[in-house]
Amino acid sequence: MASTNRFDAIVIGSGVSGGFAAKELTEKGLRVLMLDRGVMVEHGEGYPYDGKPAFDVPARNIMPKPVMDSNYFIARHGYVQPSNQRFYNDDRQNPYAYDEGDKFYWIRPGAVGGKSLIWGRWSFRWAPEDFEANKRDGIDGVWPIGYDDVAPWYSYVEKYIGVSGSRENLPYLPDSEFQPPMPMNVAEQWLKQRLETKFPGRKLIHTRLSNLTEDKPEQNRTKCQMRNQCGNGCSFGAYFSTQAVTLPAARATGRLTLQSDAVVTNVEYDAARKRVTGVRYVDAKTGQAQTVSADLVFVCASAMASVQILMNSRAAGSDRSHFDSSGTLGRYVMDHIFRVGMEGEVPGMTDLIEYGRRPGGVYIPRFRNIGGDEGVGFKRGYGYQGSASRDPSPPVGFGASMKQGLRRYAPWKFSMGAFGECLPYKDNRVSLHANKVDRFGVPLMRFDVRFRDNELKMMADARVQGEAMLKGAGLLNVRSWEGEHVPGDAIHEMGGARMGADPRTSVLNGWSQAHDASNLYVTDGAQMTSASCVNPSLTYMAMTARAADHAVKQLRQA
Amino acid sequence: MIDRRTALAGVVTMFGAGLFAPIARAAGAAQASRMPVISDGPPSTAVFTPDQRALVTVLSERIIPTTDTPGAIAAGVPMFIEKLLADWAVPDDRKPILAGLQAVEARSLKDYKVSAAKATPEQQDALLTLAMNGQIPGGKDFFEAMRQMVITGYYTSEIGITQEREYLPVPGEYNGAFPYSQVNKVYSA
Repeated sequence: MASTNRFDAIVIGSGVSGGFAAKELTEKGLRVLMLDRGVMVEHGEGYPYDGKPAFDVPARNIMPKPVMDSNYFIARHGYVQPSNQRFYNDDRQNPYAYDEGDKFYWIRPGAVGGKSLIWGRWSFRWAPEDFEANKRDGIDGVWPIGYDDVAPWYSYVEKYIGVSGSRENLPYLPDSEFQPPMPMNVAEQWLKQRLETKFPGRKLIHTRLSNLTEDKPEQNRTKCQMRNQCGNGCSFGAYFSTQAVTLPAARATGRLTLQSDAVVTNVEYDAARKRVTGVRYVDAKTGQAQTVSADLVFVCASAMASVQILMNSRAAGSDRSHFDSSGTLGRYVMDHIFRVGMEGEVPGMTDLIEYGRRPGGVYIPRFRNIGGDEGVGFKRGYGYQGSASRDPSPPVGFGASMKQGLRRYAPWKFSMGAFGECLPYKDNRVSLHANKVDRFGVPLMRFDVRFRDNELKMMADARVQGEAMLKGAGLLNVRSWEGEHVPGDAIHEMGGARMGADPRTSVLNGWSQAHDASNLYVTDGAQMTSASCVNPSLTYMAMTARAADHAVKQLRQA
Repeated sequence: MIDRRTALAGVVTMFGAGLFAPIARAAGAAQASRMPVISDGPPSTAVFTPDQRALVTVLSERIIPTTDTPGAIAAGVPMFIEKLLADWAVPDDRKPILAGLQAVEARSLKDYKVSAAKATPEQQDALLTLAMNGQIPGGKDFFEAMRQMVITGYYTSEIGITQEREYLPVPGEYNGAFPYSQVNKVYSA
């Protein structure tokens, strides 16, 4: 690794993937520069509203409508509040081509740590099935790797970050290396027993969550305190974030340089050597651009932002990226489809309530089309995320009697929502705008991404089955709903630089390594060849650690 | 993302359908230095005339009165409402409130020959009941909006969170089968 560069590697982005890349690469001896376009947020001191009740947060922690409309009209779909406003992108300052192409919610963070600060933290392994289904079903997009390639890296990551959950031995949902699960409440236990009896083969299990249920003193992290205010930042370090977990590890090596407010515009490329040489970025505070060189570049800017950076890496006068010899860059974009939900009243147990605010719930794993097509009219399947809780009783009238009534709870209510797999479609694509650029000179992203017949049929089935399960289990007043399905809304956007064995039809190989540049790795959601129906972040972390291991071995051989 | 409950969840779910617009939008139920700053402090503009402010104040207290815990006035609800309408809502959201205050005032002058703010508590309750039942012009819209603002302001205030409800800043553990009889209150979200 003889190098005259200040840095051996550059990591673009500091979310779940970038943070893990920085940790792994620095621990393996590399001098790493991690760049993030967002503002600096330090663990603890960067969480001004950690532990603050509503009366200590501006506007009682209700985002004022004028501010929402002017600056957070996309972030609103990502649950922005005054207490976590600083962690979100300002949609007015940093736009994409909102008014062109298809409707897409590109929900972005705006701080170091990326979405790791504000994510939902539900963490599942993909199944062998997920890596094999495209090939089996004749769908365009064959994974060059299988479950066994990733499994050891799942274990490695899970043991480090701490994932709570229960061992279930389900074929479709492989177990992780678990800390103990968070308890189910009495209504969920009641539902589990009845649902599993009435619907053999279907399961209702503890969620799997990147919140600790046991301390990790070696990481200065304390188990979850059941405040359910994760999105404000957690000074206990109880949930996985870059700030709490991977950033301190990378810093401890003494080999990390972290630069916030650094907007990467493109990756620099040496066409003669077919290698990347560094990255160009603009300082968001000063507007100054500079180029930094390194032997290795990891692109972890979040799926769509990584694709944008790759697409904007092109020779002067060319509209073809250096990394798009296949013509597939920006294509096969996916998200989970999830605007279907249902709820019902759990009878009885009205003398019991919840103590503490559990930041999770329960999960009904996929049961459709496992192992092959069941003839239900669509491919793949969906899982449900839900929880039972008791709301305060609704107000009746006004005055002392209303006030007294609000001291009681309504009956137990169970609600859940489906998350369904989206197939990869070649013409679900993102592209750079021909003539509109942002304040850093980067062409705006345009989205031409739609859900298709398979996804919509799947959601119709999820609605019918969800209602049937809740009714069948004995819930009362069951109702269901379906909302507008807008890609991006699940914040599980994936694809655009997919993996594949064939350089003519994919951007990355099975090591998350660019076919067109062996020292360029893309390890966030952009690399995904299919979408599964389970939450993807854990898989990004595992594949990032795997890619980092591969990259350092390659460097050492060189 | 279904688990991402807003801090408001406990308040909003009480209303069911038909949320007052600024609260619905803020809660998503309808579903840096360059960072936009959220206006704090007193209302930046007067939404109410002194008479209207006096009426909002007494009606707030009639909706959530002082009982064994403090009521809406002690919890700063009237100021919250004016602040909400001045700075955190959009101008259109003032309309049903201002129209309703006018209708209540007119009815009070007609029925009781006295300004509503100076009517007896029983008379004020009767006026609120007329509004609630849609028996004065714009009454239902006014009552729903007013009650939602009072409830939101009260249960997000320090008194509402820590006195009227039971507040657990750091629960430390989760018990999903906890006897209500051990607290006899609702826990703050």
